[in-house]
Amino acid sequence: MASLLVLGAGKLALGDMLFILISFILLSLAVKHYAWGPVTKMMDARSEKISGDLDYADQERARADKLGKEREEALKNSRAEAIEIVNKAKDNGDSQKKAIVADAHSEAETVRTRAKQDAEKAKQDAMQDAQNDIANLSLEIASRVISKELNADDQKSLIDSYIKELTVNNETK
Amino acid sequence: MDDKYKFIDFLGLRFNVANDLSALVAAILVFILVFSLSRKITMKPGKAQNVLEWMIDFTDSIVKSAFPDGSGSRFSLYAFVLFLFIFVSNQLGLIFQIKVDGFTYIKSPTTNPIVTMSLALVSLMLAHYYSVKKFGFGTYLSNYARPVSFLLPINLLEEFTNFLTLSLRLYGNIFAGEVLLALIGTVAKSFGLVSFVIAIPVEMIWQGFSVFIGAIQAYVFTTLSMVYISRKMEKE
Repeated sequence: MASLLVLGAGKLALGDMLFILISFILLSLAVKHYAWGPVTKMMDARSEKISGDLDYADQERARADKLGKEREEALKNSRAEAIEIVNKAKDNGDSQKKAIVADAHSEAETVRTRAKQDAEKAKQDAMQDAQNDIANLSLEIASRVISKELNADDQKSLIDSYIKELTVNNETK
Repeated sequence: MDDKYKFIDFLGLRFNVANDLSALVAAILVFILVFSLSRKITMKPGKAQNVLEWMIDFTDSIVKSAFPDGSGSRFSLYAFVLFLFIFVSNQLGLIFQIKVDGFTYIKSPTTNPIVTMSLALVSLMLAHYYSVKKFGFGTYLSNYARPVSFLLPINLLEEFTNFLTLSLRLYGNIFAGEVLLALIGTVAKSFGLVSFVIAIPVEMIWQGFSVFIGAIQAYVFTTLSMVYISRKMEKE
């Protein structure tokens, strides 16, 4: 073994060094080409992808937060809107109710006044009828009285009472 | 040990067949391992991809601990391949050794100091290269005289001790492990069946321990390589 290391004593196994060196370099190149290159490339790509995914996740979360806030805001707004709509509807109903009641009142009023007028008219008509009836009646009575034989005194008292009656009748009218 | 090796002389260079064949086998095993684990690369990792990514994360953490400022990412591939290669090399001899006619052909390549020195040399060369590239040659040289000039000889000496400790630590651990494995194997053969039965659990225990040592040494070698590189790239 020691003879391998002695310089000058024959030959040093320099060929071995050369062989080892060349085979090592070839091995390195082969490993680099077939395994190291693709794998390290993929590892880099993976780490890049992971960091990219993390960034993307952060962005997405921020976006989701924003969306959530917006939705909450919209919900709040819609609630206020709903309350407003209900209030408006209530106001509308109130005013409509008042209008209907007022209409009903006025209609009732007109109905009542018309009924009053009708009643008045009916009363007048009735009075008219009664007058006519009374006139006819008195005419009849007169004709009947005239057809009867009267003495002067009786006649005189009859006419007086008659006239009196008429004046009373006229006064009451 | 008394292993014999076949040598091939080619272009004035001497090749140890056992070292080269074993290193080649280890390299091919490493390649088959990562190749089979990386067939389906998807965004959501499957089992195989998870294993591969776990190994990459492991060596990346070694690099990160040596370069806390994150500038060491260009050494990640080197650390990954170095760790896997040394780990597989350390385990190779535990799993099988091939001897034909007394000549060893397959063993752990890291049981030979030349192999570990080659690997250590690669690491230290990278350290010096990136130091010069970062500071320029003048500052690189003057870095040897920092923080005070009388430390120059110690700093110079340190370069050699770094190299020797890095390579010989790995070599010594793995070589000793395999020597003991071989010794236990010899014991098994010495008294027939009795010693064979006794030796089997001992061999198993030592193999398990050697797997552990092999993993630790691969980790240590990778970590120290990264530390040496990072130390060369900072001004003291």
